Amino acid sequence: MQMTKPAALPADWRDLYALTKPRVMSLVVFTALCGLLAAPAMPPFVIGFTAILCIALGAGAAGALNQWYESDLDAKMKRTANRPIPSGRLDRQTALHFAVGLGSFSVILMELATNWLAAVLLASSILFYVLIYTVWLKRRTAQNIVIGGAAGAFPPLIGWVAATGRIELLPVLLFAIIFLWTPPHFWALSLFVRSDYAAANVPMMPVVAGYAATRRQILAYSIIMAAAAVAPWPLGLTGWIYGGVTAVLGLIFIAFAIAVARNDATEPKMMGPEKRLFAFSILYLFVLFAALVADRWLLA
Amino acid sequence: MTKIVGEEPKPEQEVVRARQRSQARITAWLLGGFVVLLFLITLAKITTGK
Repeated sequence: MQMTKPAALPADWRDLYALTKPRVMSLVVFTALCGLLAAPAMPPFVIGFTAILCIALGAGAAGALNQWYESDLDAKMKRTANRPIPSGRLDRQTALHFAVGLGSFSVILMELATNWLAAVLLASSILFYVLIYTVWLKRRTAQNIVIGGAAGAFPPLIGWVAATGRIELLPVLLFAIIFLWTPPHFWALSLFVRSDYAAANVPMMPVVAGYAATRRQILAYSIIMAAAAVAPWPLGLTGWIYGGVTAVLGLIFIAFAIAVARNDATEPKMMGPEKRLFAFSILYLFVLFAALVADRWLLA
Repeated sequence: MTKIVGEEPKPEQEVVRARQRSQARITAWLLGGFVVLLFLITLAKITTGK
């Protein structure tokens, strides 16, 4: 008797949604929105809304392509084993079609609603995350997060360009702040999930260079990032609200990074400072961008 | 809805149909939303003269 293979289940929308990494997307949407709101020219509401929607969809597409390419890796790590593809709830081809469709749609809609420069930047950010970070760097070098961090730094720049049509110094500095923020943020996480990365053979900094070297680099990047974050104020690009908030936040960030540098634990349960830095780094970025918008709107 | 006696759908077929219905409903809402969005973008572009 010939057995027929049962038809595969159609994808559940919840799995497609999970494929877009919604938690990461919230930070992307927020920084993009702040980039747009901080711009000197304000587009009509519907155009601004569409620009943010396109950035969110583009980030979702990049996240989905990342999960499509890394499903083998995700299956080996506790933190990611329950994602839709490695858990078997979603097949790879559906994920690929969904991701490519979503990414193409977001770029085309961005061009139609705003301008070609914003669309090119959006396409570049998706391609950078997928091709440079996911495919090229992540499995090859401990600098994966440093260079790959550029992908996550695009949203405020795209938000600004969607509003103005131009690339200026302030959004470039915002790009630099997120670029410098990424290594301490991800390395703090990778210290307490090191065994996961080691099991999956991902050359994250703690796996390749060890705990002490990673902690020193976290501190170094935190100092450079805190200085870069304040820079727009003395350069006259922002007012005292942004400058004051960023200076205080930067000092707190450095204090957390010093606590990490002084810690010599190798057991995740002893890594309180690393966990605190990771949590604070997310709050840091939210407050920094909120202060930028408050500065623009209250002091304008 | 009439049910044919002796031809009860298998549980997995019901799941497949439920998901297809859910997909169709979401697609319809998204397409409707897209049409409205394009209309509003067009209005905004005409208003701002771009």
